[in-house]
Amino acid sequence: MKKLIATVAFGTMLIGGIAAMQDAPNESAMEWEPTVFSVSNDVSHF
Amino acid sequence: MEIGAYIKLHRIKQEMTQAELAEGIVSSAYLSKIENEKTDASLNVISLLCTRLGIQLDNGSDEEVREKLQKWYGMLSSDYDMNEMVQNYQELNKVMYDNHSADSLVMFEIHKVRYFLVIGKIDEALRQVNKLTEMSDTFDTLHQFYWYKFKGNYSTAQNEFNQAMRMYEAAEEKLNQLELPEEEVADLQYTIAVTHSKLRNTLEAIDYAEKAIATFRVTYNFSRCAQCHVVLGISYRRIRMYDKAIKNYNLAKHLGELKQNPQIIQLTNQNLGYLYSTVGETEKAIYHYEEIIKEQELFLFERILAATSLIKEYYNINNFDKAKEMVKMSLKLLHEPEDQDTFQLFFYIAYTYKYAINQEASKFESLVIDEFIPYLKKHKDYANLVIYANMLAHHFEGNNRYKESVKYYKLANSTYEELISL
Repeated sequence: MKKLIATVAFGTMLIGGIAAMQDAPNESAMEWEPTVFSVSNDVSHF
Repeated sequence: MEIGAYIKLHRIKQEMTQAELAEGIVSSAYLSKIENEKTDASLNVISLLCTRLGIQLDNGSDEEVREKLQKWYGMLSSDYDMNEMVQNYQELNKVMYDNHSADSLVMFEIHKVRYFLVIGKIDEALRQVNKLTEMSDTFDTLHQFYWYKFKGNYSTAQNEFNQAMRMYEAAEEKLNQLELPEEEVADLQYTIAVTHSKLRNTLEAIDYAEKAIATFRVTYNFSRCAQCHVVLGISYRRIRMYDKAIKNYNLAKHLGELKQNPQIIQLTNQNLGYLYSTVGETEKAIYHYEEIIKEQELFLFERILAATSLIKEYYNINNFDKAKEMVKMSLKLLHEPEDQDTFQLFFYIAYTYKYAINQEASKFESLVIDEFIPYLKKHKDYANLVIYANMLAHHFEGNNRYKESVKYYKLANSTYEELISL
């Protein structure tokens, strides 16, 4: 029971923290800046 | 540029040692002094050295070559046709060492760093940087501007954004001493905006993007305008000004459509998809990601990015059939590239969800614990580490394995704290 409470408590804290700071579980691969090089149709720069 | 540095440049290009060049003319030590401008050699000595190198001293000004050079430089910073750019480079490379001024030669050599990066030859760019470092203390202010900017570009290509920023700021310092065309200044501002965004310096990213776009608007550089709007969109999303973010993305998309550039259009779709994902508008997120995978003209990276984004979205709304479909598509795309290292993250994401959807618990646990989490830690990918540690913790909780669940909730929590302290 104690373990269950502890787990739920941690989970709630984490979810609460993430919700409060929406910027956090973020990007790396999913939000993408444009390239500093030129934009050509021949090369993948994205 | 002084004659000493000019001789040094030619010697290095011909891969001669100082001893080989100096033999019978002067000592190696004296040659070193000449090359480093520590002494003024006699005209006779200079002449002998130049003869051995096969160079002449007059500052040849071939107008045709100069025009070609300027055109080539322009290609390196704008929309370009790759074949034409490569062809121009090859032609220039043949003639630049024949009687052209030392200044032109140095500028050409410095721009080669940018050229190699633009065509994706990172190793060649590094070789060029190393070659030029030896003589960089003889560069004048204009040379230094480009030298710092392109060294910054190299760091950007290596994802070393702090180092890149240092270089770009060094280039920026030179602007006060130079009178460069406004597009050149704006290009540096745009580059700095993107780098600030990579470093999550959101307000600075907005500041520099606004400065850059002010110039690009009046010069009708629609591609760069679109890219500035994307940076602004990302920045406004990060400070939760969603309407402004969406407005900027839509402007970017419109300009991308005007220029008929699929990369720009799909970049905005990727970022719009992400925005809608973060605010819980899953259907809109899915719509934008689906637009990307429909686009056949895109390169592999863009499509894999969208496909793996879709796995997550469908999984999160329990549409496991579609999630499986996206897993299958992702894995099919991921077997295409030769350079698997670049796509390692996406392999992990695809297999993690595959095992989760198929309820292959031991494979899921083994992959995430033994491979995926260590990979994310190694690459300091805190954002994904939070997500997947949390996913693992949730999995253990669902199986009543509370001790393990707590462990990974703790990891997610501590990583989250690390992330927000950045």
